[in-house]
Amino acid sequence: MNGFQAFAEAAFSLPGISAKPEALKGIRVIELATRIFGPVTSDYLGEFGAEVIKVELPLRGDLMRYVAPQGFFWKEVSPAFLSLNRNKLHVAIDVRLPEGKDLFTRLAEKSDVVVENLRAGTMDEWGIGYLQLRARNPRLIYAANSGFGQWGPYSQGRASYDATAQAVSGMSAITGFPGRPPVKAGFWVGDYTGALFSAVAILAALAARRRTGEGQLIDISQAEAMIRTLDWTWPYAGKTGRDRERAGNLDVALPPSGIYRCADGFVAISARDAEEQAGLLKAVGAAASGPAPAGEGDGLSPDRIAGFAAPRTRAEILRASEEAGFSAAPVVGGREQYHDPHLRARGTVWELDDPLYGRIDEYGPVPKLSESPGRMKWTAKPVGYHNEQVFGGLLGLSEEEMESLGRKKVIGKWADVPGARPPRNE
Amino acid sequence: MSDFSDWAKSATDPRQAASMPEALPGLRVLEVCPGHFGGMVAASILSEFGADVIKIEPPGGDPSRKYAPEGISIGGTGLPFLSEARNRKFVTLSLAKGEGRGFFRRLARGADVIVTSEDAARLEEMGLGYESLSAGNPGLIFLALSTYGSFGPNARRRVKDADILCQALSGAPYIVGEPERDGSDPPEPHQAPTRLGNWHASFVEGLWGAFGVLAALHFRAEAGKGQFVDVSGAEGLMKFADYNITWMHTAGKERQRTGNFDPAVFPYTYIRCKDGHTFIAAYNDEAFESLMIIVGRPELTRDPRFSTPASRIRMENERVLLSILEEWSGNLTADEILRAVEDYTSKKSGPGAAVVTGRVNRPLETLAEANWRERGCFARMDDTAYGDLLLAAPPWKMSGTPARIKSVCRPPGADNMEVYCGLLGLSPAELDSMSLRGIL
Repeated sequence: MNGFQAFAEAAFSLPGISAKPEALKGIRVIELATRIFGPVTSDYLGEFGAEVIKVELPLRGDLMRYVAPQGFFWKEVSPAFLSLNRNKLHVAIDVRLPEGKDLFTRLAEKSDVVVENLRAGTMDEWGIGYLQLRARNPRLIYAANSGFGQWGPYSQGRASYDATAQAVSGMSAITGFPGRPPVKAGFWVGDYTGALFSAVAILAALAARRRTGEGQLIDISQAEAMIRTLDWTWPYAGKTGRDRERAGNLDVALPPSGIYRCADGFVAISARDAEEQAGLLKAVGAAASGPAPAGEGDGLSPDRIAGFAAPRTRAEILRASEEAGFSAAPVVGGREQYHDPHLRARGTVWELDDPLYGRIDEYGPVPKLSESPGRMKWTAKPVGYHNEQVFGGLLGLSEEEMESLGRKKVIGKWADVPGARPPRNE
Repeated sequence: MSDFSDWAKSATDPRQAASMPEALPGLRVLEVCPGHFGGMVAASILSEFGADVIKIEPPGGDPSRKYAPEGISIGGTGLPFLSEARNRKFVTLSLAKGEGRGFFRRLARGADVIVTSEDAARLEEMGLGYESLSAGNPGLIFLALSTYGSFGPNARRRVKDADILCQALSGAPYIVGEPERDGSDPPEPHQAPTRLGNWHASFVEGLWGAFGVLAALHFRAEAGKGQFVDVSGAEGLMKFADYNITWMHTAGKERQRTGNFDPAVFPYTYIRCKDGHTFIAAYNDEAFESLMIIVGRPELTRDPRFSTPASRIRMENERVLLSILEEWSGNLTADEILRAVEDYTSKKSGPGAAVVTGRVNRPLETLAEANWRERGCFARMDDTAYGDLLLAAPPWKMSGTPARIKSVCRPPGADNMEVYCGLLGLSPAELDSMSLRGIL
């Protein structure tokens, strides 16, 4: 092991993480959000030590609780809900009732960040929007996540999901194969992308607040986030007046880089510079039975790469890439990731022991920080699970006050349905 | 529009950003990412919030300036590079030479952040890695971007990080696109794992890098210490792959490609309409009932194939439902569908009533929509060196310290004088001599 590897294995050791400090310790986030865009924004902050209080409506809570792949609930909870809500405190308040608004406002007074993803203006109508909360807590950073923004022609009344952002941004139009319809990504990429942009802006606003002492409003549209990620699409449209076309699995900015079918699946082949193209040409040329076609560049046509890849396994192509000096990587799915020792050694597949559910493996934090690493502490909980801890501990309500609020249905817990309720004793 | 909406516009309109303070003024970032797009994204994001970014290119310019779809190049620089070269200073420096490495160390002493896609182990061997540089600058935040990450069993795999590699390993293409059909015919080319058409993995890699740097900055403000931030682009996009891992763990099942269908929610799909495709979603019971009224088939809410969320996500029922929806949408434009949905849902309220739609725009259609134009999503820049360019502006609207785009790009080494003479105190004669020796 060389010097760097020794350093890295020590600096990023998984068993060492729990003894290290957390980057965002002391930051409190209140989440009033449903489904993915808002909950994931605060999830990313919670992974790095922010205390996230997830506020749901009593009984049924976040509607994402009922999005279950093939209708499957595990221990009364959907695996799709678990992966969006880690390290959170779950409380249930009916914020539409006056006493509920008051409770929410009291939480926001003690918080650094609010994350919401309701339709633009809803929180303001309810009396708990940015302006009302800022009057009580000028240090508050308020992330308003929406489909089309808090202002502008499309901002009023239009709802948005992940695929709205995929669709209206132009992303789907450039994804898929020529002559085939545009492709909707099979995962909720429009939500996660928006959420990551939102979380980045919250961290930037925290940096600004360290200097100024003041919070601010962040208006982030998930469609606008997707627009920002479409790389050369916009200057190309500006220069040529044309639409960028779907190019299938070929990266037309770096040909013949792309995804190719091989003997046991699919593989990505990449040659991003002259050195790698020479390496790829060498490998393809050595493999070809006949002479290389005449003419510059033909040796690396996508057809030729496809012919090279087709009879070989992913492992053979990876080996060839290392020998010849181009890059390759297998196309993998969840099963291979789940069993991948590399991902487990990095905590990217995180082995979480949850106090309520037991062992539940998840995708872990993405950036690995050597001094103040992220971590998974617990997974999502039933509706209202942490009411006493938050209302009693943080807000100082007495048991009688909580009972009274419960009777008035201002606060509450789970409905007795899969998705909302705790696991059953076996 | 509501009072709040009016206030939000007045407080966050990006047209007034230039007169407002920035979130990260004075934060010095060195970008050492030759040939690498994700590193440019990370540095761009920090720069949009006000960081002072110096991009270090090898003498002659960054190899990624040559990436040129359809051969379109302006002043020797392709559109991908120009799309992400904003707000920086551009210097050249050869790290292959000992003297160049010396200058890099001097720049690093005054830096808050280094963003690099170079192999972290190789940099350490040259005395340019995190351990070497942080010894003289303990507050340094060192962001390393790569395909596999800097540690773990696969960290020594020999690859040059690129979007397509990260996409492949992320698990995203595996669940994007059309499945192969059963039968003996060979699959068609499109029945394959499908890459996202943009460099989404590179973008997400850069965004996670910026996230990690900002989290580390927060920690530094508390603890006074910098740190190493390790980001794998594959893992960045992997994180977006929904419940891949919890589904494996709890049910032992692997997600597969389902094309336009979805294993957990339906309708949640693109449908054909008169002028292209549009998105339609209405997957909980209230929303589904709303949609069936809109399409004029209210009786289907009582049809056992569609009466519960669980029945609607059976794959055979999803197929039937899609064709029912397309019978309706085939005679309507995407805008007519939007109006039908809005007319209905504006009369109805409640958390579950949402029927959601949105046209599948081609890029020029996106550009033609007033919402993005009015909100300043695009910046038309007239650059002295690269001419008229259309760029995506920072997406956030912020009331205190708005992000902004200040410049487009500069030629390689355009800021050598300012950085080496201004910042490091070299004389113009020394600068000339460095050029002659091939260090710049």
